[in-house]
Amino acid sequence: MKTYNFFSIKAIFFDAINFAVVGSILTVAILHPTEEQLLSLHRNALVFLIFFIVGSGLSSILISCCYGKKQSEIKKIISSRYKTLGAHLFESPKYKLNHSTHSFFSTVWGWQLLLTLVLVFITGAIQTHFSFGELFDPQGLNSASQLFRQIASPDWSILPIAVLKVIETIFIAFMATVLAIPIAFFLAFLSAKNIMKHPLAFAFYGLMRTFLNIIRSIEPIIWAIIFSVWVGIGSFSGMLALMIHSVASLTKQYSEIVESVNEGPIEGIQSTGANLIQTIWFAIVPQVVLPYISFTIYRWDINVRMATIIGFAGGGGIGTLLNQYSMRAMWPQVGCLIVVIAAVVWFMDMASAYLRESLK
Amino acid sequence: MNSAENTSSSNILSIKNLNKIYNNGFHALNNICFDVKRGEFLVIIGLSGSGKSTLLRCINRLHDPSSGEILFNGVDVTQLKGQKLRELRKQAAMIFQHFNLIPRYSVLSNVLMGRLSSTSTLASLFSQFSAKDKKQALEYLRLVGIEEKASLRVDQLSGGQQQRVAIARALSQNPKILLADEPVASLDPATCHTVMDYLKKVNQELNITVICNLHFLSLVKQYATRVIALRKGEIVYQGHPSEITPEWFTKIYGEEAREVHVN
Ligand SMILES: Nc1ncnc2c1ncn2[C@@H]1O[C@H](COP(=O)(O)OP(=O)(O)O)[C@@H](O)[C@H]1O
Ligand SMILES: [Mg+2]
Repeated sequence: MKTYNFFSIKAIFFDAINFAVVGSILTVAILHPTEEQLLSLHRNALVFLIFFIVGSGLSSILISCCYGKKQSEIKKIISSRYKTLGAHLFESPKYKLNHSTHSFFSTVWGWQLLLTLVLVFITGAIQTHFSFGELFDPQGLNSASQLFRQIASPDWSILPIAVLKVIETIFIAFMATVLAIPIAFFLAFLSAKNIMKHPLAFAFYGLMRTFLNIIRSIEPIIWAIIFSVWVGIGSFSGMLALMIHSVASLTKQYSEIVESVNEGPIEGIQSTGANLIQTIWFAIVPQVVLPYISFTIYRWDINVRMATIIGFAGGGGIGTLLNQYSMRAMWPQVGCLIVVIAAVVWFMDMASAYLRESLK
Repeated sequence: MNSAENTSSSNILSIKNLNKIYNNGFHALNNICFDVKRGEFLVIIGLSGSGKSTLLRCINRLHDPSSGEILFNGVDVTQLKGQKLRELRKQAAMIFQHFNLIPRYSVLSNVLMGRLSSTSTLASLFSQFSAKDKKQALEYLRLVGIEEKASLRVDQLSGGQQQRVAIARALSQNPKILLADEPVASLDPATCHTVMDYLKKVNQELNITVICNLHFLSLVKQYATRVIALRKGEIVYQGHPSEITPEWFTKIYGEEAREVHVN
């Protein structure tokens, strides 16, 4: 259908997904499919695809009604009444200048937004089995309050082991951070656009970015499971899991700092005949070192919290202890651990904020 | 480069049919041809956007020329790579409008950056510069009159003082030629003359050839031994500064321009 600029492709894509989601929800609501039918991924994907195609057709018709197609009219909105939500979101700023003043309820995008939100919310409530009955069930409330009471009277006799284990957790986080620093420091330059300018280097940069994104999208707890099989359950596997995650996260943050450095000193050092390593060391490192330290301290802080969670998956430290006690329903002991963890997390949070403040 | 050094020629630099087309297709330099004699103080003038910075950066290869030749001491430098390219940059030192120093470092450390290309990578990473280099650096700081500021952080200095540090850094490279890209454009008029005077001193006392981009014609007349004017990437004038007449001036700067005086 005639010429589309980039915004209309994005807009149509958005509308099509929107239409497919709404259509699928309505189909389920109307047809009440059986469990077996719901599990037929192929057919359901086909239904979704059909709705997607219909939606994109509908969207492109509506959008072509809205905007002038001729060169002379390209900046004019002919009728904003038929503007879809996608068009409303993605239209380029030059259209936004001449907005008409239709009220929310007399436009396509208004109804589209409302219908989508209502349907998605209802679906969400069903998916999560939301129930006030369960929430305020007297029996459930009773056992919950008993549990709370036990947790709220911590068994301080396990404090020594709790302290020992929380120290282990802090060191798991510490080692994970420290070992991640040199690796991330090195990789950051390989994942910074302004360093990897050469076409070959740029291809490598793209590869690095993708690789790091994949690593980062795998939760540390998954890494902990992998490493507990590899090196055995315990603090070593937890540390390795956190290290992998820290390398990916720190590399991303470091490389963003590298990308935002001032080019002047780089040019200055290069012009003296310095080589690449010298240029990085003298023109870039002095600019990035403070933000690096700041992000690294923050990473340690995050790692202490994550190390606790990872303990649940066999990563050692206080998390493992917490898992053992809660499996055996030893709530007063759990209460003691919760207090210790909260104290440490609070302290780390404060300390890291103070340190980062001083680095400004 | 030494082997091919051509001492019989009085030209330190000889540029032939130089073209620069940026990646976006913009033709920034169009068939530039000129020679530079040893010891000259050559000034390049032209409106902003006329290609002055591009030209200087082609000479020390901060930018890669698209075609043409740049003979530096008789050797074409347009294809140099690696160690030879760094040797070229060492011999063709550069100073910049915004100084391009390392703000967090001391004045002396900044001057020592000029020794990077002559220091091994490992030693330089630990800032192990030789005693001779340090002594030289201090001497160059004395030459530009800020020896007493050697241990201050460079970002505490005024603009004019920072540019003098940049000159000292360039000198510590022991360059054969000094490229100055609008060295006084971000300085106030009084400081402007101080910095230009030091460039002249470098040119005359150390016998270093200078190519300097400038904005103001009054400065040109005072400092240049020869002038080249660029307009839209082409040379529109070459000659002695005293020969620049009002007609030439309008040709270089366009009809609406008036001569601006700086004292
Ligand atoms: N990296 C670049 N990419 C594309 N065009 C550029 C680039 N750098 C400079 N130019 C263009 O080249 C022309 C000459 O720029 P420049 O050499 O900086 O001029 P001058 O120093 O005389 O002001 C300008 O029109 C500028 O927009
Ligand atoms: Mg310029």
